Amino acid sequence: MLRSFDGPAGPGFSAYTEFLSDGFNWRVIGNTLRVAALTALLCLVLGYPTAVALARSRGGVQALLLVAIILPLSVGVIVKAFAWQIVLRRDGIVAATLVATGIWDQPKLLLFTEPGLVIGAANVFLPFMILPIYSVLKLIDPNLHDAAATLGAPPLYRFLNLALPMAMPGIISGTAIVFSLAASMYVIPTLLIGDRFQTLATLTARAFLLMRNEQLGSTTAVILLVLAVSIVTISTWAVRSRGDSR
Amino acid sequence: MNAEPFLLDVRGATKAFAGNTVLDGVDLGVRKGEFVSLLGPSGCGKTTLLRIVAGLLAADRGNVLLDGADITGMPTHKRGVGVVFQSYALFPHLSVADNVAFGLKALGKPRDTMAATVARYLDLVQLGALAGRPVRGLSGGQQQRVAVARALAVSPKLLLLDEPFSALDRKLREAMQIDLKHILREIGITAVLVTHDQEEALVMSDRIAVMNRGAIEQFATPDEIYHRPRTPFALGFVGHSTRIAGTARDGSEGILAVETPLGILRAPGSYVPGSPVLLAVRPERIAVLPTGVQGDANAINATLTEVVFQGSKVHLHFKGLDGTPLLAEANRLPPDLTVGAEASLTWPIGDTLLFPGETP
Repeated sequence: MLRSFDGPAGPGFSAYTEFLSDGFNWRVIGNTLRVAALTALLCLVLGYPTAVALARSRGGVQALLLVAIILPLSVGVIVKAFAWQIVLRRDGIVAATLVATGIWDQPKLLLFTEPGLVIGAANVFLPFMILPIYSVLKLIDPNLHDAAATLGAPPLYRFLNLALPMAMPGIISGTAIVFSLAASMYVIPTLLIGDRFQTLATLTARAFLLMRNEQLGSTTAVILLVLAVSIVTISTWAVRSRGDSR
Repeated sequence: MNAEPFLLDVRGATKAFAGNTVLDGVDLGVRKGEFVSLLGPSGCGKTTLLRIVAGLLAADRGNVLLDGADITGMPTHKRGVGVVFQSYALFPHLSVADNVAFGLKALGKPRDTMAATVARYLDLVQLGALAGRPVRGLSGGQQQRVAVARALAVSPKLLLLDEPFSALDRKLREAMQIDLKHILREIGITAVLVTHDQEEALVMSDRIAVMNRGAIEQFATPDEIYHRPRTPFALGFVGHSTRIAGTARDGSEGILAVETPLGILRAPGSYVPGSPVLLAVRPERIAVLPTGVQGDANAINATLTEVVFQGSKVHLHFKGLDGTPLLAEANRLPPDLTVGAEASLTWPIGDTLLFPGETP
């Protein structure tokens, strides 16, 4: 890592200024942040209703749902990525479904595209969104919604002013976890989208393994680290400041 | 009884959970400004009835009318029925004042009047000083008052209270009961209280509906329920009593002679001779006298088995000749009476309650 602070005239930030002066590298950072954000968003959209269903279910149904959510974590990420390669093909099940429902007029290739990458990544990281939200929701007194209704609050108002604020600590933690995981993922983009699409993580691996450019690799690794640390710090601060206001 | 229409009129409410009938065709009419308690053991359907009135639960059959309008299918948030929950259900992410303001904001009340309304209701429950505090740190009694202020702030037509005192300790509970009764009367709101605590119902209510197994057994004033219980269940659930099973004999002038293991006893009423009946008497009606005293009253010889000191009064547990337990109440222990001693228990015939007995 110290290599990244080496310069032609001794220690300095020259490696960083050089890295950041290249437009291609900005695209890499942009790719990383965009894919991570979209993955986190998709996980949130799918994960929040799942967490609600999980918190409302009882007994056997709940146990079954929990197993269905946690068990896939034991399947290796490489296996899952290969599975998505099959699913996202032009004749794969996703394309077939989209054509059958009339959203697409003809089958297209999802594999090696950014939407395909986001779908695959969201599948792998979904449990990390569901579980923090669920753990917050299950502690909420179910009477709170009834109480809001008896006070004259219609369903949408209850959702925006009660359900969402109450679930927010879980939503923030889940989003931070998925965002960090998606920003640093390496195997999934390698298998689902290939070398044409570079993120900070794949570029780091490429720099070390293929290009033997340790300075570039350390530089990208440090940038990724800084991004991840700031996300975690900001979200921790966000959760805590909400806690203080109570 | 006045002919004024009911503010709340429940007609034939029926509800079953998984084939288990919890409410069986319940009718309940509550007049404007009245405080009514639904009193009964857990599982008698009182909370189910409350949730049906609030719209938090749909009845299988029956109608709910509020202020003359049928609200049976109306969603909760349109009913104008306030609820104070057993757990208080305060919003933990909001301050005391924001909890009270929640309903006003949801109803879109103008901001300038909102602050005044919140302050008025917080003052009403004497929590004005805590307006900015988070609800998490409040004591049980304070939380309950926030819940009351929050429910009242939106000016509901009807206030429902679901065991609101059960989380409080005894001393505080008694103080809060008086306070709340006072506040509700001041506002003049109609209220229905669900409770399993007979004392609470007796203290707070204008009328009490005694519920058992999904039906209302008696709906009357506390005084009438205590002194003229209509069923053995109402007798047993409200206050103490001595019960003696017997068989009806002949009656004359509205007084029935009943043959019991303790001798012939008399009670106002009439039954077909030979039918099983149940006699009952409240403990404070029984006078404890030296043996041998007779008079124009029911009298039983019994042995004192236990003395239970209750502060302002003493409960004297006796045993009849056949072992029947008998309970008398006195202001203090008679000086010449010790455990194991015999005494004569007498009470006026007119204070004897008579119910149909169970066929053996």
